[in-house]
Formats: sequence, C-alpha cells, structure tokens
Amino acid sequence: MSEYINEEKNRVARHGALELAEHWALALSGLALLLSGLFELPMAARFKITSLPGFGWSGDFIVSLSIHYIASVVFIAAAAFHLVYHGLLQERGLLPQEGDLKASVEVVKTFFGKGEEPPFAKYLPEQRLAYVGMAFIIAVVIITGLVKTYKNVYAPDLSHGLVLWATWLHNIFFVLFILAFAGHIGAIVLKPNRPMVRGIFTGSVRLDYAARRHPLWLAQLDASAPALAVEAVEALESGETAAVMTEEGSANGADDAPGETPGDTARPAATKDER
Amino acid sequence: MKKRVNVNRRGFLKSLAAATAIGTAGALNVPRTAEAGEGKLATLIDLTRCNGCVDKESPACVSACKKIKAGSLPEPVDPIPVPFPTRKVEDWSKKKEVAHRLTPYNLIYVQQAQVDADGGPKTLFIPRRCMHCDNPACATLCPFAANHKFENGAVVIDPETCFGGAKCQTLCPWQIPQRQSGIGVYLKVMPTMMGNGIMVKCDLCTDLLKEGKTPACIEACPQKAMSIGPRSEIYARAEALAAKIGGYIYGKTENGGTSTLYVSAVPFDKLDAVVHRGPGEPGLGAVKRRMAGTDGMGKAVLAAPVIGIAAGVAGAFAALSKRKDRLKKEKR
Ligand code: HEM
Ligand code: HEM
Ligand code: SF4
Ligand code: SF4
Repeated sequence: MSEYINEEKNRVARHGALELAEHWALALSGLALLLSGLFELPMAARFKITSLPGFGWSGDFIVSLSIHYIASVVFIAAAAFHLVYHGLLQERGLLPQEGDLKASVEVVKTFFGKGEEPPFAKYLPEQRLAYVGMAFIIAVVIITGLVKTYKNVYAPDLSHGLVLWATWLHNIFFVLFILAFAGHIGAIVLKPNRPMVRGIFTGSVRLDYAARRHPLWLAQLDASAPALAVEAVEALESGETAAVMTEEGSANGADDAPGETPGDTARPAATKDER
Repeated sequence: MKKRVNVNRRGFLKSLAAATAIGTAGALNVPRTAEAGEGKLATLIDLTRCNGCVDKESPACVSACKKIKAGSLPEPVDPIPVPFPTRKVEDWSKKKEVAHRLTPYNLIYVQQAQVDADGGPKTLFIPRRCMHCDNPACATLCPFAANHKFENGAVVIDPETCFGGAKCQTLCPWQIPQRQSGIGVYLKVMPTMMGNGIMVKCDLCTDLLKEGKTPACIEACPQKAMSIGPRSEIYARAEALAAKIGGYIYGKTENGGTSTLYVSAVPFDKLDAVVHRGPGEPGLGAVKRRMAGTDGMGKAVLAAPVIGIAAGVAGAFAALSKRKDRLKKEKR
C-alpha cells in the first residue's frame, strides 16, 4: 500500500511500531540476560569487576539472579508473542525459502567484492537463515532456563540428569547466543547492510536503497504502485544498477539525511510522473 | 577472651537432667541407620550428648570422617596453577591433619562453646558440617550442576565436574564448602583463567547411604549423639527432645529449613555469641534463605510464556479484524 512509501522524504516503512517494540524488547532484555548471566558465573569477584565503580553488585549472585529473572520475563514474553502473533497472521518473510543456503553463499561473497547481488525481497536469504538460527538458540536458552527456574522455585531436588542437561545446554547455547549476537552486529555493520540500521531505530529505510536492493519487496508491498518496483527491477536487469551502486558506494555510506543522498537522483523519475 | 553467657541455671540443670533421662532411655531403641538410604532423610545432632570425645586424641566423628574421606582426594598437581588475577591458591594438601576447622580434608569438626552452668563454666561441643539444606542456593545455582541436592536430602558436590569457582561457598550462609586448588577438570581447560580447584564438603556419606549403611561420623560416635532416619521421624524426635529438655532446635528454619537438626538446652544465639568464628568456622546465628526473595520473580518467569502467548493470540485477532474492516471499506 502506498501508505508505506513516502517519496517526498525518500522513505519506505520497513518495520511497524509493533515489530520495533518486539525487536527492542528482545534485544535489550537479551543483553541484560547476557550481562546478568555472566555475573552468575563466579567471575565478577575473581576478575575484580566488583571493584569497578558502579559494579559492586556484580559479585552478588542473588542480585544477578534477580536481574536475570526480570529480563527473562520480558525476553520470554516477547519471544512467545512473536511466535504466536506472526504465526497466526502467517507472516513468513523471515522464514527461509528454498535455495536460501546457496543464495546466501553468493550474497556473502558479494560482501567481499565478488560478483553482484541478486534482487532481494524484504529480507536477504542469509538474514532468513540467521533468523532461524537465532530463533533456535533463543528457544533452547528459554526452555533450559525455564527448567532451571522451575528447579530453583519448586524442585531443588529435581532429577540430577535433567538438571545437568538443562544447565549444560543453557551454558552451550548462551555461548552460541553471544556468537550469534556478534554475528548480528557484524552483519549490520557491513556497508551494504548499513542502510537497514536506521530501520530498526526509526522503522523506515531509504526508498532508493530499497528500490535498488529490495525490489521484490517493494513489488510485493505496493501492488497499487507497481511501476516503482518494475522500474527498479528493470533498472537492475539493464545493468543500470552498476551505476547506481557505484554512485551509492561513493556516497561513503551516508544514509540518514534525506535529500543529500545520491539515491534521490538515482530514483527512477518515472515513478514521480506516475503519481 | 571468650564471652561468658549466663544461662538460666535452674533451667539448664533441669534440661540437663531431662536430657540424661531421655538419653539413657531413648538411646538404644533409636534407629540410627538410614534404612537403605531411601526416601527423604534427616539427621539429628543432640548437643546434650556430645562430650567432644575429650578423652580421645581426636573426636571419633572427626577421625572416622577423615579416615573415609581425606584419602579420597587425588594429590594436587605440583606446581598448582596460579589463578589470574587474584593469585589466590588454596592448598590444604600439606595440612591434611588440621581438625579444628573445616578444610577440604576435614569435613566435620567439633566446635566449642563455653557457657556458665551451675557448677561453673561448662563447655558445649558442637559437631559442625554441611547442614544439607532443603533448598540450598549452593547447589541450585551451581553453574555446572556439579553441586546437587538429591531426593534423599543429601547435597553432594561432584568432584569430577566442579571447577572450584567457590560460588557455593559465597552462597552458603555458613560458607561450608572448602576449596582445594590443583585438583579437578579446570586443569584441563584454562587453569589460570577459569576455576581454581574443587570445592569439598560433607556429602552425608552418600555412597554409604546407597549401600544402606550409616554415615561414618554417626556410626563412630560413642555417645550416640547423632542419628539419621526418615525425615519426618527425625523431625518428630527433635521436637520431642527439645520439648522434654525445654531446649532449642537449630536447622529447622535456618536457610529455609535443613535436614540437620541440632537440639540444645542452651539457646543457639547464646552459643553463636561464644563460638570461635572465622573461615571454615561457621556461626550458629539465625540465617534467612536469601534466595527466597527471588521466588516471586521466578514464578513470573514461569508464567511469562503464557503471558506472551495470550498477548500474541489477542494481538493477532485484533489485527485480523482490522484487516477485515479495511477490506470491507475498500470494497464499498
Ligand atoms: C543492541 C543491539 C542491536 C542492534 C543495533 C540491532 C539491529 C538490528 C537491525 C538493524 C535489524 C534490521 C534488519 C532489517 O531491517 O532487516 C535487526 C533485525 C533483527 N534483530 Fe537485531 N539488533 C540488536 C540486537 C538484537 C538482539 C540482542 C537480538 C536477539 C535477541 C536481535 C534479533 C534480531 C532479529 C531476530 C532481527 C530480524 C531479522 C534479522 O535476523 O536480521 N537483535 N536488528
Ligand atoms: C539471552 C539469553 C540468555 C543468556 C545469554 C543466559 C545466560 C546465562 C548464564 C551465562 C548463566 C550462568 C550459568 C548457569 O548458571 O548456567 C545463566 C544462568 C541462569 N539462567 Fe540464563 N541466559 C539466558 C536466558 C535465560 C532465560 C530466558 C531464563 C529463564 C527462563 C534463564 C534462566 C537462568 C537461570 C534460572 C539461571 C541461574 C542458574 C540456575 O538456576 O541454575 N536464562 N544464564
Ligand atoms: S549448609 Fe551450605 S553447603 Fe551445606 S547445603 Fe546448606 S548452603 Fe549448601
Ligand atoms: S558427635 Fe560423637 S563422635 Fe563426634 S565429638 Fe561428639 S561424641 Fe565424639
């Protein structure tokens, strides 16, 4: 729907308020879980973190457990909401599709300057794969965390086998979570992906960026203004992209202030006429 | 320069007399065995009976425990890796004979408390070891599940998986677990960066319990000051004993309840005030289970999936009906 696209400002809405709230509830509580979880390991006192100003509490395992619990409530509720809400609405843009694995390899190669990117839908193929990976990691820390919590509150003498499984899986998967988080940050820091960063803070990305990189998304998004997307795809196919891309490249990643980007000029003029 | 405590003398005498009475009557028909170690167990330590084995070189319970446990630890590596950055190595392997406090090689010791009684000052002897608490943070919060509370009530540290991080010691209100550096899996990972040995404490002779035998200290005591049995029976006996002597119980509510009940004719806060305290020498004060404060939040965590699912269903239906409305409008 055209309500998503604001040509004046060169913006296209990428995430709704709800999606932003979900992302940040998960991200902030996830970071709180990471920090408090690490302090649940006997390391704050050992590495003298307790003597840093403002970190005296880090050696108190009951305090870190309380923080871990509070963050868990947000984390679990957000994850469960996400699963049920988007599941029921059949919103599957982030789920992997056939051929994503192969396509991801190609796309990752382009990050290192090899070959050219194919036109994307809303999400990149490797983003969809990363999403499933992250979802799996989150599911395991949540399930094992729930077992650990149940043991703490109701059953200190829970079967040792179960407690061992829950504890060690929690430990292995919190390490995987740290790696996945690092990968996530690493991915958005990559230059071609950087325009997505403003999206996760404000909800919208540059229209020229979307037109150039995510034409399949725009086509889907705005059935009432197909010209923009068609135009973009045509542009891509006719090799005009190369020009657009180099221009973009020389804009040294400036991606926020509207009007100052070369994208404005690169935007197909035809769409303006159309409206 | 120990403080003296004035205990009501007549009460003390009376309770002493009562204690001797039930002592002689009850001692022999009291089951001291763990009945094959099944079901929930508890132990009773009767301070009116313990005489500290003053006639012996070392208390019988302490020697028995040392005999069965001290040799079971492997020798630490030499040199012991120095942990970064604290450089704190705890090595008791050359002081295995120490018996006046808890060490990795001394899992029970007999504490002394001087109190004023009728015939002048009197010394009470208090065998001290892990209390095997009902919901012990030392075990439930172990990051490797190396320390665990078992169905029979015993709280046991597995020396094979313990890293010696001493979180259990920090969380125990009596700081019972003691560290021996230079032993354990941590040596195979990053010995100077992670872990620092293994933690050791009384495990209620869990191996003996499995064979239906009695823990070594209980078996060894010539005074029959300690006993083990089904939890409900031990609790009932402790109550009855305390009622008879007009005495006091320690371990029933401390740290949220334990499976070790001390019965004494002298109030425990008085004993707490006079016992020698320090590392490996726990007090006898009133201690709360600090982790209880997190139980409410823990319950909220367990409810969080339901909250999230309910919100997701409600949200999805709201969004669907909005979509329908919009489609209707667009059709018109
Ligand atoms: C503070 C740090 C974080 C920043 C700056 C950040 C940034 C971003 C950005 C820019 C996107 C947009 C991708 C797009 O528009 O397609 C995104 C998506 C996403 N983020 Fe984060 N994020 C952070 C932390 C986290 C954490 C901790 C988690 C996990 C718990 C997480 C999970 C996700 C997921 C699942 C997506 C959806 C799509 C994808 O996998 O890329 N984020 N994030
Ligand atoms: C991003 C997600 C998470 C990370 C990075 C994380 C990390 C950690 C770490 C490092 C520890 C200390 C090691 C250990 O005790 O095993 C820990 C402990 C713990 N975690 Fe998490 N955790 C996460 C999510 C959760 C969730 C969702 C829950 C609850 C459902 C949870 C419940 C617990 C509990 C109760 C402990 C305390 C130790 C215990 O009870 O055994 N964690 N976590
Ligand atoms: S006395 Fe200390 S070490 Fe023993 S079970 Fe209780 S908390 Fe754990
Ligand atoms: S409990 Fe028994 S064995 Fe231990 S010191 Fe007292 S009398 Fe001796």
